[in-house]
Amino acid sequence: MIVFDKVGFSYGSRPVLKDVNFSIQADERVAILGESGEGKTTVLKLIMGLQKPDSGRIWIDGEDITDKSEPELRETRLKLSIVFQEGALFDSLNVKENVAFCLREYSRMSEKEIDQKVRELLGRVGMEDAIDLMPEELSGGMHRRVAIVRSLAACEPKMFLYDEPTSGLDPVNAHNICSLILDLSRDGRGFVIVTHKMMDAIKVADRFIFFKNGVVIFDGNEEDLIKTLVPEVLVFMSDLNFDFKSSMDVEKQEG
Amino acid sequence: MAKPRIKELLSELQQFYVLSFDGLLGVVRKPFYSKDTFEQMDYAGAGSFVIILLVSLFIGMALSLQLSAELSRLGLKMYTGKIVGLSIIREIGPVLTALVFAGRVGSGMASELGSMILGHQVDTLRVFGVDPVKKLVTPRVVSSIIMVPALTVIGDAVSLFGGYFIAVFVSHQSAAVYWTSIRDVFEIENVVAGAVKPFIFGYLIACISCYMGLSTRGGAIGLRQTTTRAVVASFIMIIVSDFMLTRILLYLLGFSV
Repeated sequence: MIVFDKVGFSYGSRPVLKDVNFSIQADERVAILGESGEGKTTVLKLIMGLQKPDSGRIWIDGEDITDKSEPELRETRLKLSIVFQEGALFDSLNVKENVAFCLREYSRMSEKEIDQKVRELLGRVGMEDAIDLMPEELSGGMHRRVAIVRSLAACEPKMFLYDEPTSGLDPVNAHNICSLILDLSRDGRGFVIVTHKMMDAIKVADRFIFFKNGVVIFDGNEEDLIKTLVPEVLVFMSDLNFDFKSSMDVEKQEG
Repeated sequence: MAKPRIKELLSELQQFYVLSFDGLLGVVRKPFYSKDTFEQMDYAGAGSFVIILLVSLFIGMALSLQLSAELSRLGLKMYTGKIVGLSIIREIGPVLTALVFAGRVGSGMASELGSMILGHQVDTLRVFGVDPVKKLVTPRVVSSIIMVPALTVIGDAVSLFGGYFIAVFVSHQSAAVYWTSIRDVFEIENVVAGAVKPFIFGYLIACISCYMGLSTRGGAIGLRQTTTRAVVASFIMIIVSDFMLTRILLYLLGFSV
């Protein structure tokens, strides 16, 4: 589904990705991890064709999108669904208008049908009551849920892309978002989640790709992860141990 | 070191021209975002109305006061209306309105688009297959091209009224003489000279502000720089293009300098 072939990318004179190679199948659950500024979000933007690589080729669903123009990319983008960090809801539109945005833009549905569809989609994430709220009235977790629903209204994607979906959320909301991500992938549709939270990555993904200094330093499953001796990955793993320990402690206290 | 900088500048200039051209071309290309255009017109026009009224009124009064003081020393007070009218209609009205518009509306456009860039809302539009230039730039260009001239007409009228107030009630001139002088100023050459500029200023303000907004990078500091750059660049372009337009219009309308 997604193939990166020796992809290089830089912001001005600062290289972000150097000859990156990987391929992801449509039904895979992949987590891309790395420190801030390691180009994780850039990878998602390159997949969606929002940015062009300086070198290498990018293939989506068997098509080379590297040199495609904006109108040509439209069809490719409909195969994927991206949820940006913090949701990227349109500030000037309320929840209903945000979710209905693509329906109004492209479908020939009547207002009544749109209203019905929006309510149905919001119902899937337990947000029917927030239908008339403005984005600034939503909590972080609600923001993400509306953003996920909006991306579902846009198309029937083959794969989902999530950019830091749990960043800035409390553990309960982060857990809810992880559950929603897993729910949406139950019918065999895979996803790529970009995060720096090892705990969340472990919860949802089967495959883990680590970036460091613009190159892939680790690419493997959970078993490989446990056995790895890559120092940078071990740092992330130590965070995980801490999280496990602290969450265990909380549970014990509550018990 | 200088070469990459020049290349970067030329590239920015090219992007600005492309955006300005596409923004205008959007007027004749489907889909038409009329709701967005009316919203922008409301924000730009109705929102700026009171500020333009206030600024124009006091500028007209100040101008009339200065001229009355100076002309009465020369015994030429009866020319106050004519000079106030000429300067307001041909020069001060369009420039003043454009400067206020750039300060209020242009900065708003730049910061709004900038925050949309930083919040990935523009990327979201692209993902949904919506052309950001058509959806965001064209409505702002259209609203500015319509609202700057409209506000200029209102501003001119209020300035002339402010000038009248000072000339008649402070400088004790004849109201009939003042309004006759103003009426004499309303020749086709003067009206055209003053009417062409606001359209150009509106277009320039919208294009500069949208370009600056859409090229925002680097968080809150980037947004602050974007807004400042948009206002400063608009001010400079208004003043420079005013001079150039004045020269061209004087030549085309047959005025000898």
